[in-house]
Amino acid sequence: MQTKNIRNFSIIAHIDHGKSTIADRLIEYTGTLSQREMEAQVLDNMDLERERGITIKAQTVRLDYKGKDGQIYELNLIDTPGHVDFTYEVSRSLAACEGALLVVDAAQGVEAQTLANVYMALEHDLEIIPVINKIDLPSAEPERVKQEIEDVIGLDTSDAVMASAKTGIGIEEILDAIVAKVPAPAGEDEKPLRALIFDSYFDSYKGVIAHIRIMDGHIKKGMQLKMMATGKVFEVTDVGCFRPAPVDLGELGAGQVGFVAGSLKNVKDVRVGDTITSMENPAAEPLPGYRGVTPMVYCGLYPVDSADYDNLKDALEKLQLNDAALVFEPETSIALGFGYRCGFLGLLHMDVIQERLEREYNLKLITTAPSVIYHVHKTNGEVLQVDNPSKLPPAAEIDFIEEPYVKATVIVPNDYVGAVMEISQNKRGEFKNMDYLDVNRVMIIYHIPLSEIIYDYFDKLKSSTRGYASLDYELADYKAAKLVKLDILLNGEPVDALSTIVHTDNAASRGRQLAAKLKEIIPQQMFEIPIQAAVGSKIIARENVRAMRKDVLAKCYGGDISRKRKLLEKQKEGKKRMKSVGSVEVPQEAFMAILKIE
Amino acid sequence: MAEYTQALCREIAVQGSLLREKGMGMPATIYIGGGTPTVLPVKLLETILAALQAAFGEAAEFTIEANPGTVEPGLFPRLRSWGVNRLSLGVQSFDDGLLRRIGRIHRASDVRQAVAAARRAGFANISLDLMYGLPGQSMEQLAASVEQALALQPQHISIYGLQVEEGTVFARQQEAGRLELPDEQQTEAMYDYMTSVLPSAGYERYEISNFARPGFASRHNTGYWRDVPYLGLGAAAHSYWEGQRLENPAELSAYMDRIAAGRPAGQLEEPATREIQMGEFCFLALRTARGIDKAAFAVKFGRLIDSVYHRPIEEMKGRGLLAEDESCLHLTPLGMKYGNIVFEAFLL
Repeated sequence: MQTKNIRNFSIIAHIDHGKSTIADRLIEYTGTLSQREMEAQVLDNMDLERERGITIKAQTVRLDYKGKDGQIYELNLIDTPGHVDFTYEVSRSLAACEGALLVVDAAQGVEAQTLANVYMALEHDLEIIPVINKIDLPSAEPERVKQEIEDVIGLDTSDAVMASAKTGIGIEEILDAIVAKVPAPAGEDEKPLRALIFDSYFDSYKGVIAHIRIMDGHIKKGMQLKMMATGKVFEVTDVGCFRPAPVDLGELGAGQVGFVAGSLKNVKDVRVGDTITSMENPAAEPLPGYRGVTPMVYCGLYPVDSADYDNLKDALEKLQLNDAALVFEPETSIALGFGYRCGFLGLLHMDVIQERLEREYNLKLITTAPSVIYHVHKTNGEVLQVDNPSKLPPAAEIDFIEEPYVKATVIVPNDYVGAVMEISQNKRGEFKNMDYLDVNRVMIIYHIPLSEIIYDYFDKLKSSTRGYASLDYELADYKAAKLVKLDILLNGEPVDALSTIVHTDNAASRGRQLAAKLKEIIPQQMFEIPIQAAVGSKIIARENVRAMRKDVLAKCYGGDISRKRKLLEKQKEGKKRMKSVGSVEVPQEAFMAILKIE
Repeated sequence: MAEYTQALCREIAVQGSLLREKGMGMPATIYIGGGTPTVLPVKLLETILAALQAAFGEAAEFTIEANPGTVEPGLFPRLRSWGVNRLSLGVQSFDDGLLRRIGRIHRASDVRQAVAAARRAGFANISLDLMYGLPGQSMEQLAASVEQALALQPQHISIYGLQVEEGTVFARQQEAGRLELPDEQQTEAMYDYMTSVLPSAGYERYEISNFARPGFASRHNTGYWRDVPYLGLGAAAHSYWEGQRLENPAELSAYMDRIAAGRPAGQLEEPATREIQMGEFCFLALRTARGIDKAAFAVKFGRLIDSVYHRPIEEMKGRGLLAEDESCLHLTPLGMKYGNIVFEAFLL
């Protein structure tokens, strides 16, 4: 395929604005899959992705389309993940494209979440084709939405495609617009190979399969290739494209999108953003923009049933095959027993992994509240990296503690600037900069402790800007802060898994709130349970969970038995996710309570 | 009422002949319950008693429930003549104000008269039901009721706490804030009082809610907790047969239609899996003072109980709710108060 007939594009859309449906229609229309082969929403193929309406793994599909000029075009659709945790992955997917469809719901209009990705696409100089979807809805207002796109994003919408993916309206127009407007890729087949990895997955037969875009050069079966960042060398056993199942083509040339596989056993060797080159004729420079994976958030995962410890390990290992960003190592908690300390890109990543462990591997887990990595400088000069509050050394041994700050970029309509600043200030943010993107929209930059971001910054931001704020953040630096460990004692015994690290100024109020929240969460038991919050040896808050009500004496004769059993089953169902901590039964929620307080 | 009695008698006759055809033994106990069977005119009641005698012969223990307010003169001698030998009276309280408050039609004096009449007719096994935790009930009122119950020297006493069930008058009153129930501490004090005073008066607590003089534990009810099969007759009656639980239609017309059509009235509630059977076997047995007979479990299920329930047994023992001896697993006094925790642990 000549590069002039190749078009590489992605789809940017807010949840529910019809990204997956449009992708399905494009696949169907170009005959890539027959209707019978179409599973609805082909591209979001994990149950979890479908349920949450998000894409976690990038998906790629090649479509062949006969353009108006009678020529056959190769259209590569790269579906991108859609969440702030995966910003880096999105940026790599966009780097593999020359254009993007911006899909906006004709009734809903532009949503905040879309903006960050549009701006990222613009940063990568992508040609953006606005598509107004769902024009068949009675509430559709395509003209208003077009105007909004012009006003808010500053895109010319005179050529916007009017579509209804549901009914098939506009699908051909979208394909024609892609051919006409998205530039052909610029690479040359003869140059030294440079292929960008924008995702990978593990196949039990072929090993790690890298999703790639060839910028320059070409890949043929049998070639010796090298990962420029990790240094891993491998021989190509399979190279081809997705339709959407992988099809072995034997080679891929400049500008093309597809996959490469070959004796790659470890997903860690195949990093998103890395550049693949050839051993024979290596490129001098890798492609720009590579970033190593650094987990930002850590939490403990413990099996409710300690007999599941080995199963948890197996499951984590299997998930890691597909997810280089997931890291874990064994840890022990006095309260929770044996488990794993796991690192994640962010809270959604953490949620997704936890849910997959529970659903796909049928594990019942207790998750501790997420923590960041603290740099603890001890008085003896030693520096510790602490990712678990219970591992914080005694206060007397600590000289000072540094915590990670992120550069948080918030884009918000003008009217909400005050709200954003107030929240950021309350979260110990330091104002850095503010820029008007246009008359209506403002970009505000703050440096904020990551620990505050993972608590509830994003939720607060969304609720006080009526969902219009978009947030992106990246690690900025470490800064010294006055931090202390807040301990929780149940029935007089400290529970290590409930310890958190908080700012000194917030310790008293957090302690009170946490104790009060735990009182709500911990069910009544046979005896009264005192809940205490403490900093060092000083008790700063106390609550009591009253003893549980005794059974009322009730009949249980011939006609009562089934009903009684069902009642007991129902009660038992509600109690499954509990862990005995000392003599107290503590539900899963309690370990996340710190996230639930004001 | 006559129609229903007829349908019931037909069901009794059919089930009786089925038992005979299959060569099964006749039931050792019969229980006529459901609250107040004595609201039936004596004539109709006797039709049923005659049908029972024809179908099943004499039962070693034959109980009838009676509301002290609906005892017709001459009823007890008639019951005796049909072989009824145990009487269960729904007394609830000896406080007339309280009885009115909970909508009962009888007075304390009716109870005393009923007991005396029953004794004269030759009933030597009388049980009284008492309730605690009633609206406005004080500890003193409860103690007085217990005292008066003991003064009547019944062979058996059952005690039940008031539970406000959805859709009842009490539930509506509770919603409207007009139901003044004793608080948790008071209710527990009442429980503690009864569970200590009755044994010291010679009534052994042989099941969570039931107390009896030696030799007078209800054989019939004990069957429910000891996995004995039973046959329920009449609308809404439940049966337990070959490990499955069946229920007759609760609706009178539906029940009568089925009987008229010559079809068995009992319908399977839900197929009992082995897990359900084990769970029920255990939680029912745990209600009794004796507890789960480990050998009986092994015989019935072909597995040692410890191989199925090792973890819950250890946990419940650890929490002081369960005790184990050579032959049985049983609730501790604390476990009796928190039976539901233990029962749940035994559901699979």
